[in-house]
Amino acid sequence: MTAPGGAATGRRRINLFGLGRPLSRERGNFTWVYLWSAPIRATHWIAAACVVVLIVTGFYIGRPYFMTSGEASAHFLMGRVRFIHFTAAAVLIMAGIVRVYWLFAGNQFERLPALFPVTPKNVHNMLRTAGAYLTFRPDKQPSLVGHDPLQQYAYTGLYFMALVMVVTGSTMYGQSNPGGIIFRAFAWVPLLLGGLQRVRLLHHVLAWAFIIYVVIHVYFTIRSDYVERVGRVSSIITGGRYISTDEPYEDYDINQVPAHQWPTPEHPNPKKEA
Amino acid sequence: MMTPSAYAWTEGETLAQHFESRGVSRRDFVKFCSEIAVALGLGIAAGPRIARALESVKRPSVIWLQLQECTGCVESVLRTADPTIGDLLLDLISLDYNHTLMAGAGAAVERAKQSAMAANKGKYVLVVTGSIPTKEGGIYTVVGGRTAEDLVKEAAEGAAAILAVGACAHWGSVQAARPNPTGAVGVRDIIKNRPIVNIAGCPPIGDVITATIVHYLTFGRLPAVDREGRPLFAYRERIHDQCSRRAHFDAGQFVESFDDDSARKGWCLYSVGCKGPATFSPCPIFQWNTRTNWPIGAGHPCIGCTEPNFWDTMTPFYGRLPNVGGFPVEQRVDTIGAALAIGAAAGVAAHAAATVFTQIRRRKATHQVPETGPETENDDG
Repeated sequence: MTAPGGAATGRRRINLFGLGRPLSRERGNFTWVYLWSAPIRATHWIAAACVVVLIVTGFYIGRPYFMTSGEASAHFLMGRVRFIHFTAAAVLIMAGIVRVYWLFAGNQFERLPALFPVTPKNVHNMLRTAGAYLTFRPDKQPSLVGHDPLQQYAYTGLYFMALVMVVTGSTMYGQSNPGGIIFRAFAWVPLLLGGLQRVRLLHHVLAWAFIIYVVIHVYFTIRSDYVERVGRVSSIITGGRYISTDEPYEDYDINQVPAHQWPTPEHPNPKKEA
Repeated sequence: MMTPSAYAWTEGETLAQHFESRGVSRRDFVKFCSEIAVALGLGIAAGPRIARALESVKRPSVIWLQLQECTGCVESVLRTADPTIGDLLLDLISLDYNHTLMAGAGAAVERAKQSAMAANKGKYVLVVTGSIPTKEGGIYTVVGGRTAEDLVKEAAEGAAAILAVGACAHWGSVQAARPNPTGAVGVRDIIKNRPIVNIAGCPPIGDVITATIVHYLTFGRLPAVDREGRPLFAYRERIHDQCSRRAHFDAGQFVESFDDDSARKGWCLYSVGCKGPATFSPCPIFQWNTRTNWPIGAGHPCIGCTEPNFWDTMTPFYGRLPNVGGFPVEQRVDTIGAALAIGAAAGVAAHAAATVFTQIRRRKATHQVPETGPETENDDG
C-alpha cells in the first residue's frame, strides 16, 4: 500500500543525506503503538534536565572556573551553585523513586523484567544489534517493539550509574552534618572506597561517564530515527511509535493480539487487562 | 618545659596537694579545668566538676612508648596551650617512661619501666606514638633489643586504656604509605582487647591529648569516639565547616596559585588542593602553638592528616582529586575524561558519517525500481 506522499514525490524533495525522505509508512502497513507511559516520559525529561544542571554545577564545584571579587560577604556564588546542585540531585532522586515504582506498575516494556534481558535469545539479539551497528546494516537488527537488549543494557547501566552518583553524592553531602541521618546512612561508603577523596574521585569520574553517555545516547536515538523512521525520538515525547503490521516482532505478537488490544494511552497494558 | 620534677609526686599525695606544694595557685588550677571543660565540649559549668575530680587523683602512671616515628607528636604535646599546668600535668603523668623526656638512659630506665608497669598493673594509661613495623620480624624498630611489636604487646597487657597518639600509632602514617616497605601498622592492628582512642593528626594538637587524659582522669573512661576511634569532642566537625576562610568558599573566591593576589587576600585554598572538605579535625578552633596559628591560617591548604591513609588518599596535596594511577604518565581524571568524551564524539561522528554513506548507497540501489509503481523494497530499514 502506498501512503500519501509516496516514493515518486518523495524523491523530488530536498534530500540532505536522506533526511527529507518520506516516512517509511510508504513501505507497508504501519500502526502507532503506545509504549511509554506518562511517568516514564516525565521522569526521562526531568532526569535529562537534572543531569545537565548537575554536570554544569558539578564541574563548577569540582573546579571553580570563575570567581567573584570584592568582599566575601557580598557574594554567595559557590553557595548558590551548590544549592542548585543539591536541589537538582533531590529532584533526580524523586524521579528515580517514581521510576522504581513504575518498575512494578508499568506496562510490559517498563516493568522490572524488561530491564534485564538475560535469556540466551536476548544475548543473541544484543550481539546482532552490535553487529548491525558495526557493519552498518540496519536490516540485520532484531525486530523488536521495545528496546533491543543492547539499548536496554545501556539504560539499565545508566540507572546503576545514577545510583552510584546518588550514593557518592549523598555521602559527600552528609559530611556537613556529622552524626546526621545522611551522614550515618552513608558512613559505609568512605569505608568501602577507602576515604572521602576516593568517593569524590568516583563521583567525578562518573560525571565524565554521563557526558560520554549523553553523546552516544543522543547519537543512537537520532540515528535510529534516520535509519528506521519509526519515530523513536518522538516516542519519548508522545509515548508511542510506529510499527509495521506486516512483519513479526520478537517481543510482541502482533498477529496474535487483535488490533483493539494493542497498547494505547487509555489502555497501556491491554494484555494484562485481558 | 617538661623536665624531671624536683618536686616528686609522692605516693598517696593527691593532685591538689601536689599542686599546692609546687606553688600552683587554686585560681590557675580552676582556670585550667574550665579551659579543658570547654575543650571537651562540656561547657564551662563542668569546670568545677573536673577540678573536684582531678584534685583527688592519686599519682597516675603513664607509660609512653615511642616507636617508629619522628618525635613530632611529643614536640606537639610540649606546646600545649596552657604553658604552666598543661605541661605540669603531662610532666607528672609521663614521668614513668618517655624516651625524649626522661633523664635516665639504658638498662636503668628499662628496669624503671618494668617496675612501674608491675606496680600499676591494670591501672596505667599507655600512650603510643609511632607505628609498629612487622616485616622481617619487626627488626626496623628495636628498643633495648626488643621489637616494637613485642614492647607494645607487653605494655598493653597491663594497660587500662591506650592512647594511640598521632597518625603513625593509628594506621602507620607515612611509613605505611604505599609500598609500605617495613610493613608498618598501627596499635589497633596489634592490640585487639584494650580500649584504644585515636588522637589523630600528623602530629595531633597537644590540647587534644591533654584534654583526653583529663577526661580519663575525671570520668575514669575514655571519651566518646567516632568511627575512626577519634574523640568526638575534638574530631566531630570537618575543617571545612569550621574554617576561617569558609566565607570565601561560599562566595566563590579562590586562591589559584600561592603567589597570586587571591592568596594575599587570604581567599579559600580549595583550588590549590585543600582537603578541609574531607578532613575531621579541631585545627581551626584549637589551633597550634598556644593558639598562635594553624596551617590554613598561614596560607597552606589542609593535607588531611587526621584521616586514615592520608598519604595515599589525600595526595596530591596541591590538587583537588587523587591522581589516576596505572598510566605511564600520571594523568588527571579531567584530562582522561575529556579525552574519552572527545573520543566518543569523534567515534559517533565517524559512525554517523558511515551510516549516512551506507544508507544513501542502499537507497540508491533500492530505488532502481520504476518510480511510478508501488515500492517493493523490503529492507526493513
